[in-house]
Amino acid sequence: MELLKKNPFRDKFNSKKEAIDYFVRTFFMISAIISSSFIIIIVVFIAKEGIKPFITDNNGIGSVNLFSFITGKVWLEGTAFLSNLYGVGFIIINTLYISFFALLISMPIGVLTALFIAKIAPKKIAEFLRTVVELLAAIPSIVYGLFGSGIILVFVYNFAKIFGIQSKGGNSVLATVLVLALMILPTITALSEVAIRSVRSEIEHGSLALGATKTQTNFKIVLLSAKSGIFTAAILGVGRALGEATAVSLVAGNARSGPSFGFFETTSTLTSTMLQGLKETVGIDYDIRFSVGLVLMVVILLTNLMLNFAKKRVGNINVK
Amino acid sequence: MENTVFTINNLNLYYDQFQALYGIDMKIKRNEVTALIGPSGCGKSTFLRCLNRMNDLIEGCNITGEVKFNEKDVYMNSYDVINLRTKVGMVFQKPNPFPMSIYDNIAYGPRCQGIKDKKVLDDIVKKSLTKAALYDEVQDRIKGSAMSLSGGQQQRLCIARAIAMEPEVILMDEPTSALDPIATLKIEELINDLKKNYTIIIVTHSMQQAARISDKTAFFLMGVLIENDSTNKIFTQPKNKKTEDYITGRFG
Repeated sequence: MELLKKNPFRDKFNSKKEAIDYFVRTFFMISAIISSSFIIIIVVFIAKEGIKPFITDNNGIGSVNLFSFITGKVWLEGTAFLSNLYGVGFIIINTLYISFFALLISMPIGVLTALFIAKIAPKKIAEFLRTVVELLAAIPSIVYGLFGSGIILVFVYNFAKIFGIQSKGGNSVLATVLVLALMILPTITALSEVAIRSVRSEIEHGSLALGATKTQTNFKIVLLSAKSGIFTAAILGVGRALGEATAVSLVAGNARSGPSFGFFETTSTLTSTMLQGLKETVGIDYDIRFSVGLVLMVVILLTNLMLNFAKKRVGNINVK
Repeated sequence: MENTVFTINNLNLYYDQFQALYGIDMKIKRNEVTALIGPSGCGKSTFLRCLNRMNDLIEGCNITGEVKFNEKDVYMNSYDVINLRTKVGMVFQKPNPFPMSIYDNIAYGPRCQGIKDKKVLDDIVKKSLTKAALYDEVQDRIKGSAMSLSGGQQQRLCIARAIAMEPEVILMDEPTSALDPIATLKIEELINDLKKNYTIIIVTHSMQQAARISDKTAFFLMGVLIENDSTNKIFTQPKNKKTEDYITGRFG
């Protein structure tokens, strides 16, 4: 008995259940620490590489000026003409510009599709459409990219011809916007659908009982009640649009200067710039891509913060 | 105007195979409060929802018989449901304000009917809130969120919302079951006020409530209308043994 009493394990826990509880909680905490530490590791690694071009002389080429890097309108690259003149200002603008239009296209389509699936379609059709949306979401981005370069580029090329514009094989802002819109559509649809489905039916019935039609109820009450969830869908959609690389590289045309606002001009995004020729280059031209990665992370972080702020403003029940 | 608002003839209702209402015959008089009482699952709420065709929303729900509103059968194919629901308002068990301002909640119904004139809407909102005895409490935050109101205020807002449509009938499905006694009392006073202008049909679990506020009481049991008479008679000298058992608390 004496021995048992001195056992620290006995002192700490009053029962076996408490002990198990303690260990399970610790286990969860360790998992959380592991997963969150990955973020730190990745950020530290990218930052370590990405900061090099600014603080070293890059084997005699000279260090890159941070300000001209952030605001620059030209991206000089390639081992042929090595220099320290890299600028991503126009690429940041391109990225945001393209994501905005992609969202502008897929938001209404996605939300209306979600409304149709959740509220209007008969059960079997809704089930079928839900599966289709899930499948679309599961298609790898390279497949979207192939579809983009095989179909959308041709379409854009011919479309540009109608206006008498000779586009560069269809590689353009428009093609990128279309591919991205297609890619974020399933995300937006699926999340909006969940948000719409979780609107309390009492609120809907309240509207119908006032003599509102189903359509009035859907647009004025259901969408309004689901707006916070729909906003979340938009945030994740923008996140995907900003971060998408593979498909975008195949249709953007990788412009080296800009920004490109014309719909048939070639363009480039932060991701496509990072990806382009990553494996065939060394030195500053390699390191600078990590700097772009840092910029991308900051852009995504800021966009998310802004959208979350907007969501809070919109999410507040007060409409007027 | 005709004195009878609703005439129900041989109404049967089925949820798929299950029959929930059996051959209901009933007349509901104008400007009276009719209480529907009975144990849980007896069909009183189902019956109430037949009157503004809210049962249409439930899949597998089938109805035979007649529900005549102002002499017209509302289950006729050609009957305009939207119009019916503007004439027969409804207040639900749980307060269900829309997630918008108090003003917009009230203006919602009229707006759906195409009223856009701001002056007219302002007027409707003020009148409805006053009639629902809510105006004094909320007049300084009428553009504020309806969700910030207390449960009792929310329920009165829902009543105001129904009144804004200028209905003839207001259906109430246990409107006080989610409220505290003081809020309940306020709603009951309100019902007493409203019956001058409206016909009220109220489902209630509380027999005391039925006795306090209603002129007529209908007792339902297992989907059958057992007895329907003036509230006084039901509670003092019921004709049916089952009614007597229920109101004296022997079951239910």
